[in-house]
Amino acid sequence: MSRNVLEKLMHQLCVDRSVKQRFKEDPAGLLARYALSDEERTMVTDFDVAGMQKHGVNPMLTLGFWTENAPNRHPAAYMKALRGAAAAEGQVFSAGLKQ
Amino acid sequence: MGKIVGGFLVPHDPVMFVAPEAPAEDIRKRMWGAFDSCAERLAALNASSVVIIGADHYFNFGTGCLPQYIIGTGDVDGPLDVLPGLKRQIIPASEKLAGFIADHGHANGFDWAVARAFTVDHAVAIPDRLIVDPVRARGQSIGTIPVYIAAGVDPFIKMKRAIELGGAIKAAVEAMPDDERVVVIGSGGISHWVGTPEMGKVNEAFDQEIMDYACTGNLTAIQGLSDDYILENGGNGGMEIRQWAVAMGAMPGARGEIIDYAPVREWVTGLGFVQLFA
Repeated sequence: MSRNVLEKLMHQLCVDRSVKQRFKEDPAGLLARYALSDEERTMVTDFDVAGMQKHGVNPMLTLGFWTENAPNRHPAAYMKALRGAAAAEGQVFSAGLKQ
Repeated sequence: MGKIVGGFLVPHDPVMFVAPEAPAEDIRKRMWGAFDSCAERLAALNASSVVIIGADHYFNFGTGCLPQYIIGTGDVDGPLDVLPGLKRQIIPASEKLAGFIADHGHANGFDWAVARAFTVDHAVAIPDRLIVDPVRARGQSIGTIPVYIAAGVDPFIKMKRAIELGGAIKAAVEAMPDDERVVVIGSGGISHWVGTPEMGKVNEAFDQEIMDYACTGNLTAIQGLSDDYILENGGNGGMEIRQWAVAMGAMPGARGEIIDYAPVREWVTGLGFVQLFA
């Protein structure tokens, strides 16, 4: 199942500094090493955390992936990516390990 | 012969370290103070070892190996996920008892995975640092035994098995020839949603329900909670009540007392502190 491969990649992008660096410098080259569909690769490069969660990826991994790798790592940006525009309303609280 | 002399059910909320100033001052003082109260109470129990039950957050273990339950039988340090004010350090271990629990389990239907050198994450490191370390600083020698169960990453350990695992810990402690005085600490919960669209929600009614089961020693009720019910009402983080179930399973019939509780949205969690009396 590709959920498993996505979770493998997400886990490495949470905890492995060298994988994080490769993703930053050469995302296509990194992703070519994983058995992912084109749609799944796009989810990763687009930081489509909502799509990944619908795909079954553990939310702790999508949060860690975002916190460690996203261009805008602010919790509000994560919640907006997850909830859509509705997230712009009200306060945002995050369980992220970096804020 | 060993004996379980008490237990605690506590949160391990990393946001307390990441955003310590976020909640109102009175809430902050109460929650940090609740950890201090646990430390005071632990000191009074004159423990020789603590078993801290945590859950992996898809951090210690990856897709290559997801144990249902694992025990640290050797050197321990942590946290793996260093936080502001929570730097990594060596954690005094209780290797002889931890190895005995693993061996006893293996001989009695509990196939523990073991970690011979275990860098724990915040699930064990926070209660160790905030509850156990202050007692060590007073001169008491206490070894920590880390136990991790599958409550954050599926396939989740069944609630029935979590309770039975607590029973296996109890049976092993009581079979230990040494006069160990053991305290079990269930680390986790209560309601919280981690990384999901609901993150920041806290369900006080669910939290009160679980604390009521803990205080009345109602293992039947906690075993009867379906995963769907927990996920709906307690969030994906609420699955961590399994750690409470392990501790309660190690102390069947024990009554509990709430030390403090607050639903703290800023720290994304219902923070409940309960002492279990042997």
